[in-house]
Amino acid sequence: MAQVVGQQILRDPALFYWILFPITIVMILTGVLRHYATLLLQSAPKPLEAKAIREQKNYLHGINLRTNANQIPLSSFTSRKNYLVQAFQSGSFLKDPDAKNKPPANPMSDPNGMDAMMNMMKGNMMMIVPQTVIMGWINAFFSGFVIMKLPFPLTIRFKSMLQSGVMTRDMDVRWVSSLSWYFLCLFGLKSVFTFILGNDNAADQTMAQVQQMNPQANTQQLFGPGQDPAKMYLAEAENLEVMVQHEFVLDGIEDRILARI
Amino acid sequence: MNAEERDLQLYPIVPENLVANSKTISDLHSLSSSLLGIAAGILGLESYTGFLFYLLGTLFVSTLIVTFVMGGKPEVYSRGGWKDVIAADVTGGVMGFVLTWTLFFGLVRA
Repeated sequence: MAQVVGQQILRDPALFYWILFPITIVMILTGVLRHYATLLLQSAPKPLEAKAIREQKNYLHGINLRTNANQIPLSSFTSRKNYLVQAFQSGSFLKDPDAKNKPPANPMSDPNGMDAMMNMMKGNMMMIVPQTVIMGWINAFFSGFVIMKLPFPLTIRFKSMLQSGVMTRDMDVRWVSSLSWYFLCLFGLKSVFTFILGNDNAADQTMAQVQQMNPQANTQQLFGPGQDPAKMYLAEAENLEVMVQHEFVLDGIEDRILARI
Repeated sequence: MNAEERDLQLYPIVPENLVANSKTISDLHSLSSSLLGIAAGILGLESYTGFLFYLLGTLFVSTLIVTFVMGGKPEVYSRGGWKDVIAADVTGGVMGFVLTWTLFFGLVRA
């Protein structure tokens, strides 16, 4: 008898066809477009000159030797270590050994650094432009309609955000306007893009933001702008020097195999 | 070298394979969370019931993954075992669930 009935609002079903579906379709298509535009705009990383490649690969050689030291016998490890430490300390793999004591170059003037920055700019543009355009479009065309009821209650604080353009003071917060459907699509379409475009897509904006954090990851440059390769070589030589513990994985292999049989 | 590091050296784990496995798991979870949202919307579940439905649904899907996809041996495929399967992609799954839940709730009920 005393059952509280929530507010009932009679809405035109045409609201669904002319607001809800257009917004959803546009959001999905924008994601697909963003994915393919990002693929198109990605410039292939420039091939480095031979000496720069030598510099990077020898640095990687040092790291790999350190991490996989236990896979080779102690004698092999020691001879490799001695060779690498000597080479690192004398700086014979450096791109330009004379630049050892110069201050690092300004990253703005480095052409490789400029390239990385251009890529970041493009990524940013791909995110910001569609977002502003779509929000403006929704605000211009669809503000002021109550289009749907959320299936879960929210606190009163969300009212000004979710009911923007609807000036009704007593309306339940569960009734929301078109802009909130836009936000739901913004955060929730990730799974839809996973079906359409596969797992590694560039369509989702939250994913794009994560990638912005480490732009270094997909360039071939190992040394970021402003880092001095000579100093990194010295540090790596020191790391190799102080590595005293060495335990060959094949030590006692017979016992382990026999124990497993 | 302590025992754990030693174990890792003797029986190494390939990180690429781990990443591929967790991608497969999160794919399955995001697909199933959208479908759960559709189910919840059609059933007309509201507030807590809906979220409870989502939790039970993901638990059910996780058990299915562990028993059928992983053949009952989750520790072979991921480092954390079955906990990784359940915890994979919870936040993204919730957003997809809420999206389809709201859409179908609006279409069917409200």
